[in-house]
Amino acid sequence: MAVSTKIIRRRIRSIGNTKKITKAMEMVAAAKMRKAVNAVLSSRAYADVAWQTVMQLVARVDRTKHPLLQPHEKTTTAAFILVTSNRGLCGGFNSRMVTEANGYSRARRASGVTDQSWVVLGRKGGEALARQEQRVVAEFEKQDMAQSSADVTALTTMVVKGYLAGQYDQVAVMYTDFVTPLRQEPRIKQLLPLEPAPDETLGSVGRREPALVSGPRASEYLFEPSPAEVLDQFLPRLIEIQLYQALLESTASEHSARMLAMRNASDAATDMMWGLTLVYNQARQAGITREIAEISGGKAALE
Amino acid sequence: MSSQLRLKIVTPERVVVEQAVSSVTVPTRQGQITVLPHHIPLVSLLTPGELSARDEKGSEMAAMAVSGGFIEVSGNTVVILADTAERVEEIDEARAESARERAKQLLAEVRSRDDVAYATLVAKMEKELARLRVARKRKAGHLPRPEA
Repeated sequence: MAVSTKIIRRRIRSIGNTKKITKAMEMVAAAKMRKAVNAVLSSRAYADVAWQTVMQLVARVDRTKHPLLQPHEKTTTAAFILVTSNRGLCGGFNSRMVTEANGYSRARRASGVTDQSWVVLGRKGGEALARQEQRVVAEFEKQDMAQSSADVTALTTMVVKGYLAGQYDQVAVMYTDFVTPLRQEPRIKQLLPLEPAPDETLGSVGRREPALVSGPRASEYLFEPSPAEVLDQFLPRLIEIQLYQALLESTASEHSARMLAMRNASDAATDMMWGLTLVYNQARQAGITREIAEISGGKAALE
Repeated sequence: MSSQLRLKIVTPERVVVEQAVSSVTVPTRQGQITVLPHHIPLVSLLTPGELSARDEKGSEMAAMAVSGGFIEVSGNTVVILADTAERVEEIDEARAESARERAKQLLAEVRSRDDVAYATLVAKMEKELARLRVARKRKAGHLPRPEA
């Protein structure tokens, strides 16, 4: 009897310790999440408006005016930018993203894009791609918290140059969209060539500006100083903003996912402790009952 | 209604302004322009400088320092994507001054060495200068106003 209660007690203690850790991690994740969510919400308006502006331009401007607007004749090569987290213990966050990315990659391969290069932001995604023996051309360091859009400048330059040089016919970014703290969705967005697609903005909170999108505006745009100069500045900046926003969305999603995973772990630990305490008490009571039975048995034998 | 412009100024940090105005004056690469209702669709680059908007009575509604970005006019909607935008009241003149001094010093040091750093600093300097100009002008303008 003594042995079994001792073992159970040890288990309970060990689960209690694990719970303390998961609880602490939950709290840390919650604090980081708050910060990340603030960042993502405040820059979303800018990213959305910028994207809408460009979509309007793309729909109305002669696409031959700028090489970034012009699709290549054949699409056979692509660069995919995969945004994941550096660390694990965040539930299905990374695996969902990677699954989604793989599905897209296969679909593109089937439609003729056979030469695919991957650019990785976040260690976990890099590891997953390495396991699948995908071609990772660059891995960018990802900070725990994105600071400014300068974080993605190098990446932007790389893909824009690659596209202009004809190295990539398509550039897409894959990230986890932050919908609510309880819901994040892996999403894939084509950056280049800029297609006049129906609005598929990053995020879904506080978006949709119908007045901006509608209206009869067939007229040509006036560019000052010149179309080339304006688009030269605007388009790369837009790509940068979109990448930055994707990074922010992913960061917010990551911390939310981790907080949720840690909360589940803490809850599970509590449940286990309850169950084990019950078993422990039963074992203890059984031991006492048996001892009493032995004593009274012994006494009866003496009489 | 159609003689009003919908003005929207956003920066990466926040939506600074979203209101109806009747004219907007912005500093562009090619000099200052004023956008009135029914302006033809336009896309232009902003330079650091002063941005202001007026309502139909001609009184000023918003004056701010911007530091580069883009302006898009289409229909009666003006969208300004600014790198930064600060309302005049928010500018701390002393801080702007010291920031400009710092930039100036750094500029002298870096000048010969690094092109990228130099360009960044020049941009920063221009930005601080614009803030300072806007702040000074406003402050001076406010002084003689009699108290109601």
